[in-house]
Amino acid sequence: MNDIGFGLGLRHEHYEEIVAAPGKVSWFEALSENYMVAGGMPLHWLDRFRRDYPIALHGVSMSIGSIDPLDQTYLGELKQLIDRVEPLWVSDHLCFTGLRGINLHDLLPLPYTEEALDHVAERVLRVQDRLGRRLVLENVSSYVTYAASELTEWEFIAALAQRADCEVLLDVNNVFVSAFNHEFDAMEFLRGIPRERVRQFHLAGHINNGSHIVDTHDHPIVPGVWELYAEAVRLFPGVPTMIERDANIPPYADLLAELDVARSIAAKATARTASAREAAE
Amino acid sequence: MTRTNAGSLADLQRAFQDYVLESGDGFTGSVRDTSKADRTTLLDVYRDGYALRLIEVLTTDYPGVLAMAGPADFDHMARAYIAAHPSRHPNARWVGKHLADFLGSTPPYDKSPAAAEMARFEWALGEAFDSPDEKPVPAEAVMSVPPEAWETISFAPLPSLRRVDFAFDVPPSWQRREEVEPGELEVAPLTEPVTWVIWRPELMSNFRSLERDEAAMVDAMIEGRPFPALCEALLAYVEEEQAPARAAGLLRSWVEEGMIGSFSH
Repeated sequence: MNDIGFGLGLRHEHYEEIVAAPGKVSWFEALSENYMVAGGMPLHWLDRFRRDYPIALHGVSMSIGSIDPLDQTYLGELKQLIDRVEPLWVSDHLCFTGLRGINLHDLLPLPYTEEALDHVAERVLRVQDRLGRRLVLENVSSYVTYAASELTEWEFIAALAQRADCEVLLDVNNVFVSAFNHEFDAMEFLRGIPRERVRQFHLAGHINNGSHIVDTHDHPIVPGVWELYAEAVRLFPGVPTMIERDANIPPYADLLAELDVARSIAAKATARTASAREAAE
Repeated sequence: MTRTNAGSLADLQRAFQDYVLESGDGFTGSVRDTSKADRTTLLDVYRDGYALRLIEVLTTDYPGVLAMAGPADFDHMARAYIAAHPSRHPNARWVGKHLADFLGSTPPYDKSPAAAEMARFEWALGEAFDSPDEKPVPAEAVMSVPPEAWETISFAPLPSLRRVDFAFDVPPSWQRREEVEPGELEVAPLTEPVTWVIWRPELMSNFRSLERDEAAMVDAMIEGRPFPALCEALLAYVEEEQAPARAAGLLRSWVEEGMIGSFSH
């Protein structure tokens, strides 16, 4: 699974450009909910791209941390999509998206407590049973720190991965954003994540307001995130990488150029790691 | 980090959601300031983002309503709508489901019935866009139906087909939505209501108006009534001896336009 390489988020704005420039990426990440529909254009395009590319499914609404009951209708529809796509892996976010039946369509962070850990781990196990596969969970960008938290975010993720036997989608931009917002060391976060659990990297752009960073996915990736990405590649070699762009979407060629930057940084980081290893031996 | 007793997971999630929905500020006591930003600034990233995200979805789904209202009034209306109808679906695509009813029944928007009609049309277009796939029946299949079967045959429209009555000139106005300055799309009243159908034969949606007799026959078809009853539906508008030929002509055009999903006899 580690030779999947570099991918992009599948966005409808690029459908025609992808057809016109085939084979420029190794895989796509499709937003699950966009394709959890009855028919029409979305599924037509998804089927078409699936014929030519491996696809990972990435959800935003599982609400794995919510105190609401798991949404079995949602999970059933997701399972149908999984059966249709046969994805590389299925991911969602370590967060909650609402309760009392309301969906806020946002990724609200959890308090990093033993109570929350027990709650999420039990739900991840049930979701994995239902979907018949391991779940990959992404660290979210967050803006508030709970006074109640007993663990660091990375301690929470590491414990969850171990307890629920799930995997991690390591969003490097989100680590950067949260480190800035919560004033922790991003490298300490990366070192705290068990190497064997990291299934995928995310990269994205954001807006820095000076006092806090908002994770907007509407700008190119900033130098600080590229530097952190190089560190992530050294710590987690061979992990597939993709770039998320969700607003202010540029031409496909611009994102391909940005993906080339990721390839170059990963290649250099990998070469440096290899030469350091040789020197040590 | 130190242990505190700032509340259970359930309490924290309820308070967080209440803050985002602007129905309570109790959550501010459960989060910390940073050295760079106070907690209210940070919490408002969530509160502001919630509304902006859903307004963006409504803007995408309702360009015609936006062209009628203009950005400022649309934003104000959208916030009122979201407060009345928070999303209850995992896919934000469904958040605008109740907008036409909201506009038609909520002051002051109910004073502009054309806006409610525009919303109803745009929602029907959205429903057709990703409705279940079904191939329209080919003309040859209908032509090969044996003559005796026409006494009992009934037709079903494609799952995407929606039928809407408009008292205003909605679809032609909608087609002009990008030609006018935002807020200046005029939607004129009609002398009498007109029925339109919206349907998706392949990947692209179609819509067109119906004559009054055709609308009556479409209604009978949607109800699943057999072909002789479709002819009867026309009798309020055409002479009895003309009804079978008119019905056959209309049916042929529906088949050619890809509106019919199946038939049985």
